[in-house]
Amino acid sequence: MLRFIVRRLLVAAATLVVISLVTFGLFFAVPSSPAKVMCGKSCTAEDIAQVEARLGIDQPLPRQYTDFVRGVFVGRTYGEGDFARRCPAPCLGYSFRNNQPVTEIIAQRLPVTASIVAGGAVLWLLLGVSLGMVSALWRGTVFDRAAIGVTLAGASMQVYFFGLILLYVLVYATGLLPFPSYTPLTENPLRWAAGLLLPWMTLGFLNSALYARLSRAQMLETLSEDFVRTARAKGLSPRQVHLRHALRAAITPIVTIAGLDIGTSLGGTFITESIFGLQGLGKATVEAVQFLNLPLVMATVLLAAVFIVVANIVVDVLYAVIDPRVRLN
Amino acid sequence: MTTSVVPAPRRESAPHLRVEELRVHFTTADGVVRAVDDLSFAVDQGRTLGIVGESGSGKSVTSLAVLGLHDRRRTRISGRIFLGGRELVGLPEEELRRLRGRDIAMIFQDPLSALHPYYTVGRQIAEAYRVHHPRAAKREARQRAVDMLGRVGIPQPGRRFDQYPHEFSGGMRQRAMIAMALVNDPDLLIADEPTTALDVTVQAQILDLLADLQAEFHSAIILISHDLGVVSQVADDVLVMYGGRAVERGSVEQVLRRPQHPYTWGLLSSVPSLHGDADADLVPIAGNPPSLINLPAGCAFHPRCRYADRNGDRCRTQAPELRQVVERGHLVACHLPEAERRRIYRDEISQVGVAR
Amino acid sequence: MRGRTRTLTCGVLAVALVAGGCTRTTDSGGGGEEKKTKTQTGSISYEAADNRGPAAAVDGATRGGTVTVMQVSDFEHLDPARNYVNVQQVTGGLLYRALNGYKENGSGQLLLVGDLATNPGKDVDGDCKVWEFTLRDGVKYEDGSPVTSRDVAYGIGRSFAPSLNEGPHYIQQWLYPGGVYNAAYKGPYDGGKPAPDGITTPDDRTIRFTFPQPHCDMPYAAALPTSAPVPAGKDTRDQYDLRPFSSGPYKVKSYQRDVALELERNPNWDPKTDPLRTAYPDGWRFTFGLESAQIAERLVADAPADQASMSWVDVPPAVLPRTTSGGVAERVVKGPTQYTWVLNINTQRVTDLNIRKALNYAVDKDAVLKAIGGQAAGSPATTLMSPTTAGFHQYDVFNAPISGDRAKVAELLAGKRPKLVLAHSNIELRTQQAEALRKNLTDMGFDIVMKPIENSSYYDEIGRKNNPYDLYIGGWGSDWPTGSTIIPPLYDGREIVAEGNNNLSYLNESAVSAEIDRIRKLPAAEQDAGWMALDEKIMRESVPVVPCYYDAAYELHGSKIGNTFLSDAYGILQANTIYVKQ
Repeated sequence: MLRFIVRRLLVAAATLVVISLVTFGLFFAVPSSPAKVMCGKSCTAEDIAQVEARLGIDQPLPRQYTDFVRGVFVGRTYGEGDFARRCPAPCLGYSFRNNQPVTEIIAQRLPVTASIVAGGAVLWLLLGVSLGMVSALWRGTVFDRAAIGVTLAGASMQVYFFGLILLYVLVYATGLLPFPSYTPLTENPLRWAAGLLLPWMTLGFLNSALYARLSRAQMLETLSEDFVRTARAKGLSPRQVHLRHALRAAITPIVTIAGLDIGTSLGGTFITESIFGLQGLGKATVEAVQFLNLPLVMATVLLAAVFIVVANIVVDVLYAVIDPRVRLN
Repeated sequence: MTTSVVPAPRRESAPHLRVEELRVHFTTADGVVRAVDDLSFAVDQGRTLGIVGESGSGKSVTSLAVLGLHDRRRTRISGRIFLGGRELVGLPEEELRRLRGRDIAMIFQDPLSALHPYYTVGRQIAEAYRVHHPRAAKREARQRAVDMLGRVGIPQPGRRFDQYPHEFSGGMRQRAMIAMALVNDPDLLIADEPTTALDVTVQAQILDLLADLQAEFHSAIILISHDLGVVSQVADDVLVMYGGRAVERGSVEQVLRRPQHPYTWGLLSSVPSLHGDADADLVPIAGNPPSLINLPAGCAFHPRCRYADRNGDRCRTQAPELRQVVERGHLVACHLPEAERRRIYRDEISQVGVAR
Repeated sequence: MRGRTRTLTCGVLAVALVAGGCTRTTDSGGGGEEKKTKTQTGSISYEAADNRGPAAAVDGATRGGTVTVMQVSDFEHLDPARNYVNVQQVTGGLLYRALNGYKENGSGQLLLVGDLATNPGKDVDGDCKVWEFTLRDGVKYEDGSPVTSRDVAYGIGRSFAPSLNEGPHYIQQWLYPGGVYNAAYKGPYDGGKPAPDGITTPDDRTIRFTFPQPHCDMPYAAALPTSAPVPAGKDTRDQYDLRPFSSGPYKVKSYQRDVALELERNPNWDPKTDPLRTAYPDGWRFTFGLESAQIAERLVADAPADQASMSWVDVPPAVLPRTTSGGVAERVVKGPTQYTWVLNINTQRVTDLNIRKALNYAVDKDAVLKAIGGQAAGSPATTLMSPTTAGFHQYDVFNAPISGDRAKVAELLAGKRPKLVLAHSNIELRTQQAEALRKNLTDMGFDIVMKPIENSSYYDEIGRKNNPYDLYIGGWGSDWPTGSTIIPPLYDGREIVAEGNNNLSYLNESAVSAEIDRIRKLPAAEQDAGWMALDEKIMRESVPVVPCYYDAAYELHGSKIGNTFLSDAYGILQANTIYVKQ
């Protein structure tokens, strides 16, 4: 197990290096210069040169990349003289647009996205898996058919559309809920939850549709397994058969997909964040790209990659924990 | 193992399991599946009944009906099933559940898929024990499971207890299944193709084990198999099923040595003999098993029966009843006159197959 | 100069909208609506009554409450040295005070008066070369210390730093004419002097600017945030952006970039020293990261939590229909901004004057406007300068119907069918607009080739002298409301350089240049009329553009915001005398 994790981490590190190189390369393939974006239209060539020097993008590309990498491990200094600014390790860069080290921006944005994903995931897993399981056990009943209908609608709906409908119905038209906002959990748990209710409902409902369908299919498949018949032949109660035997096996692929979904979402739920005006990582990423804010682009892209890579490792480890047949080596 | 005495039902005590006019019908989108139709048989304590037939002939359905494992919403079961004098058909699910695993246990064909892959073998056996001994301590259940593992011939049962099914070999897994089935001393053991997934040498071991255990526990056994060789080794009585109906029933002697139904003849010709000449030609039965939704009119076997024409239209229009032949205890459902059946078997069939 | 950010942001040329009192400004509302006329009552005022604090109380206004301002994106800069966008200037005005400021009361009266200074500046020798400002007594920073003229000088000094170069550079350039403004002096950092040459502070309350050349516009330039005071001890260099040291009625309470900015009262601000601001609300909260449609929907819905909210973001076309009904309509604030949008004709390539005139007859201004939202987005234009410019009067050289004059076009083209390349930014809004133009011009007898350009480099491309395009739309807003920041940068051929041009029609006529020089030498009072006359002369004789539309603001606020009117100076909802209804 340990060897497996070490090896996977090494592969992950290599992946991150490649991703950082590609991001770096792509970024500089864009025709417009970040200096121009920051400087604006009234800028003279001299102004632009000054901004470029400040951003460090007047250096040759390989130099910029090595500076970036060195910054991650030992920190780096931006600017000169009175304007020198120390960015301590792990320095993912300094965003001149925000006037903040990128790590600070991420520390502000990540909790927002994490809160959205955490609440959403709890909702979609609870709702989706239980709906799917019940539907499978009550296969063919009115409940099952209704659930299939609702989840089909849910699964084929876009976050964008559903979120807007919720906004119209619950906020604009009736004022039942306040427009979403983010309050740190540590500051006021109640306001934290109240402010995130809408995005949770949106993510929760839409994803639970997918999870319900998945769970239902998995459960049906498992229920037809021989070992379930064995369990019943042993005289176990339906509850024991369903929970201890069927659910345990049916849940495995769901854990895998949930792990990857959560990992991917942590990298940023841009659409949800933008519909509900929440300043999470997703919006930070898109805005960074929009404003050619390289340090932030690099950091958010890498962070998203880290989440996906880590989610993969976690899922593999979980798989081994759940299924004794899987051996990590 | 075969016994040569003509089986005389022991009148002094009623048979342990008695199935009468059992009908199992499933409702599906395509129509009603008549999986079992008008089936009757009985098994005594300490005796083994072999049920043979091709897949889809209704043998597994019969065993599941005895266990009450069918989906109640989609299955119609009629007839009577008596276990130790108690009527099972119509019993509430909860009461049936209490019988399962305690009074009736089952062994399935593929022990790998029949055991839960995520739980240790020992835990699954102990679970089977504890469900019917709710007051048993964990430790007691474990000890019982280890004992059973030892009893079915698994070496180092204490260590094996904590292993997962995939860590067992095929034969060991089936032994574990048997241990699980016997952990509550059931009076009736249903073994559904218990050796089909195993290789031949292991098959023999498992069959020997079953025989030993039966001698020890004196339970009734229903052995379901498509393999007449297996049945001939362990069974006392044999029931041949086709299209959900019994076509021939009797002692092993009667059915395997003096079979009178053309379908039984076909089965015999299509299996290699354990004792006989491995090079002998195997003659498979022509055609396919019938659809249980649209059973052929008359004798269900007539489209595949070489002798169906010898009776005019009768085989096509009239279903033959299971009737006692001259020999007592031997029943056959066929329109051919008995004399002709005997002649055909003697002249045409016995040249090949198990019963030579 | 950068763009006023429209709902669907597009690179516009000019940045800061500081505009002026306007004569006969027409506020064109929806179709059939009667045209309202505002009357200009003058611009620079030395009247003691106008320059005296406190600001006049607003009828029915109450103190208290917090105003929420919903915005799409965060301010780029609040540092006064780097502040060059209207929304930032209005917000900056809550935090710090420049030498001068615009006094408005919603009646159309716009006055340039002294803010920190006791009046809009004294032209010491009457030749516009030496300007002296006297600071008011009793103006204090948030820590209670007094604002001094040295702090104003230091604030201007630091705007020379290459790292703080995003703001306007008028005063800097005037102090160091010829060449790059900060070639010789780079601010008070790394051993530099605390103030540039040409600025002296004889005492704590006096600051004197000495320019090598006359600059009669100095009172306007002194209203830019550049002259806001920054005490050297509080200078946090590039971090000053995040927390400017307050000399105004509010100070920064918290600022999370891209998320929210909160302002609270500066207890040391004395209303008696301030002729511009009533500062009724107890605080301000700016929230960023919302989409324009969300903002508009929330303001339309007017939920209790959003009633004390407003926004400087124009209502997007999709939400417009919901803003015309009762209850919402009265919460709409609309009117012209300082921007005029024109279809530039590249006069280097389209040299035939008749074709340029034909284009003026051909363009369907209604269609061009419709593509970006119709009447709410602007009103058809016939002049180069916007109606908010001082001395403006409406004229129309061509008098064509709004959808074009087919007969005139045919007559001018005389059977020819000119082939023209129409360049446009590739964002959706501009593409739609260009497509409308193409249809319109094709129909009128031109062959139009569309050439989409990546939005971020649109102005770079068309600002290249030898660009291969004939027609392209562009907007320009002045930094203050006089023709001197419109006509010379856009139509003086001597300003044409290889790249980065503002003169996008590349008009290079000595008659126009000569006239520009002549007007600049006129007494300040006569210049406004001079620029307006030149505006008309250019359109009559040179025809370098087709004036398309005057940009309009269309903003919404919640039902609990009082004294809401469009600032003529900035083209957005004003902030100085707004209040929260209790």
